[in-house]
Amino acid sequence: MRSSTETRTETWQGAAADLRHLLRFRSHGVRRPRVAAVAVTVLVAVTILMAVAPAWLTIEETGMSGDRARLLDDVLPAAFAGFLLLGIGASMGGGGGRELLPREQAVIHPIGPVTEHLGALVLAPLNLAWLLQAWTLFAFSALVVGPHGLVGAQVVVLLWLFVATALAQVVGWSVEGIRRTHHGVVIVRCATGAIGLALLVGQVAGQLDDLTHALPTAALADSLGEPQWPLVAALLVGLLVLAVALGAVPARWALRLPPREELRVESGVHEARPSPVARLLGEDLALLRRLDRGSVWRSVGMRRGLIVLGLGPALVALGTGLPWDTVLILPGLGASGAALLFGINAWCLDGRGMLWRESLPVAATRTFDARALVVAECLIVVSAVPVVVGSIRNGLPTQQVAISLTACWLVVVVQVLAIAMSWSVRRPYAVDLRSPRATPAPHAAMFGYALKLSLVTTLTGMLFVGSSGVDVWWLPLAMAAPFLVWSSVRLFRARRRWLSAPARAEIALTVAAG
Amino acid sequence: MTPVIDIRDLHVRFGEVEAVAGINLAAGSGRATALLGRNGAGKSTTMKVLAGVVPPTTGSVLVAGHDVAQDPLAVKRAVGYCPDVGGLVPRATPWEHLQLTARLRRMTEWEARGHDLLEKFELGDVAHRVVGGFSHGMSRRLSVVLAALHEPSVLLLDEPFDGVDPIGVEATLEVVADARARGACILLSTHLRDLALEACGSAIVLRGGSSVAEMPAAELTSEAYRALLD
Repeated sequence: MRSSTETRTETWQGAAADLRHLLRFRSHGVRRPRVAAVAVTVLVAVTILMAVAPAWLTIEETGMSGDRARLLDDVLPAAFAGFLLLGIGASMGGGGGRELLPREQAVIHPIGPVTEHLGALVLAPLNLAWLLQAWTLFAFSALVVGPHGLVGAQVVVLLWLFVATALAQVVGWSVEGIRRTHHGVVIVRCATGAIGLALLVGQVAGQLDDLTHALPTAALADSLGEPQWPLVAALLVGLLVLAVALGAVPARWALRLPPREELRVESGVHEARPSPVARLLGEDLALLRRLDRGSVWRSVGMRRGLIVLGLGPALVALGTGLPWDTVLILPGLGASGAALLFGINAWCLDGRGMLWRESLPVAATRTFDARALVVAECLIVVSAVPVVVGSIRNGLPTQQVAISLTACWLVVVVQVLAIAMSWSVRRPYAVDLRSPRATPAPHAAMFGYALKLSLVTTLTGMLFVGSSGVDVWWLPLAMAAPFLVWSSVRLFRARRRWLSAPARAEIALTVAAG
Repeated sequence: MTPVIDIRDLHVRFGEVEAVAGINLAAGSGRATALLGRNGAGKSTTMKVLAGVVPPTTGSVLVAGHDVAQDPLAVKRAVGYCPDVGGLVPRATPWEHLQLTARLRRMTEWEARGHDLLEKFELGDVAHRVVGGFSHGMSRRLSVVLAALHEPSVLLLDEPFDGVDPIGVEATLEVVADARARGACILLSTHLRDLALEACGSAIVLRGGSSVAEMPAAELTSEAYRALLD
């Protein structure tokens, strides 16, 4: 009989079995399984709806500009490529991809890099951006193809989603590997900056359209609804197998190397500054806020996330010259993304130190206010950058747009802050955010949070888009008032719950248990 | 003499679980008391109640004359608490921890004592590094430093020796001795009977959320302790 501790090379079969066990283990931790089951059913239903229903619509009925040829030649190839780029961005930002188990829990288990790689692939769709893009691709494809040949077309689209995710994972692991080498962080930052700049210059110079036509995704779009789709599907299956297998190579390499960026933060010297002088809100609050700010900006994952969320949409706004009605949607999405970095479980910044923090002689109101201020700062910064950069390209907005934009920005920031702080006091989690692969809540919960936040902020943004088109200056302000009142009430309720000693103790014990 | 810590019929429930089921305890100034017992006996929960972190479900708890249920902020000012797990904000440095604890207790001229304590616990070299990279033992040592910085009238040390090297243990014993000498009340929770006896004059054994024995530490032999645990 083989010993259970005998050293064995990780096989694909073994990795798949380990993945199954780990996913089952994680699924047992879902706090509300019925809600999760309903959510999965709804998501599958919406996906089927998006993949089928548009086939019976005409382009005119959707209100889109252009015709079928434009969708096929321009929009779909770019959308296919955009999905791949989004996947690359997500896997790069996430340090290779999401982790199956938090690092502290995983260290006692013999989880190999191939299992980690497969886990990151399986968990990649638990990302709202992934799902929204997938729905868009399904809907566009159905619209272009129509009822005849729809099944074949959607099989090709589905396979592309998998292939793009697997290819993105190859890039993500490779970048993480480079990042973990000597000077790797600098190399990755320079390369990312150069590529971003090149794309920006290409877009401004009008060269990206030619590039879109030359992409292999143009051939993919051409095959939709055509008789040769089985051949394309077979090619994609081959590519998928190759990409999944290839991804294991950089995953093994990257996960063997020490996480240099995190280690640098942990071993770096941070000379303490003198205690802050009395300010408007008091010295205690200023010091607490400084400590909380440090907890955010000294985390590799959060820092990277805030930069990407701020600069990514800003570059798109600058490069493509997004119209003001689209820019109006960006603050809400940016604020939602920033909240998902830590705000939805804001007390997790303290980690196991929360018990100590709670033993300090400071009013609970001060602790809440400091944390809410730090969350608000992150939301404001991330949501402001695309708006400011967008104005560079678009010039100053009209008075009506400016009022709508300001009102919308204020509303979504307060809205997201209230929602995030409310979730933080009601559903705290014990998490360690040292790794950029870590998330502030379990994956299923994160997906639900992302869905709710994006839906709420996008709908709010669309209302203000409407107000920007009506020449009544006070309308956006009047619309903002009820939103602000409701969000303030919600924030006040969250604060009141925090002030209850038993509720606070429960939060502290939960968060410190990590 | 009025006890500095006075617990009467303390019950703490977390949902269906009763973590503490009727503890009575009194401890005076200038004394160190060991709180002993198996895992889940209620030691850490009792400590958290005394630190003002967890409110009692029922019962009366007075710390330095303040009711923990009525005035937790005054309790927190009087207490120095080393929690049983972690106890440190992962991305802050030891100096930033000291700065916060000193600031919130309105301490002035605390830097020299902070430096001394860090040096005593061999943490001087890492005073400006984030604690996320610390070993378990280093984190425990820093937690004791934070509890002792303001020379509290009540010192609560929950598992201060857990994973700590001999130099750290020695420094912790010294902190306990200093606190006793200046008249503080010390409650020290641990699994390690020998160290508890070295640090404390009396011992209280908890079992199943209740106190089952209180005696001078010297009388708590290995056999007697074992018999009380079973």
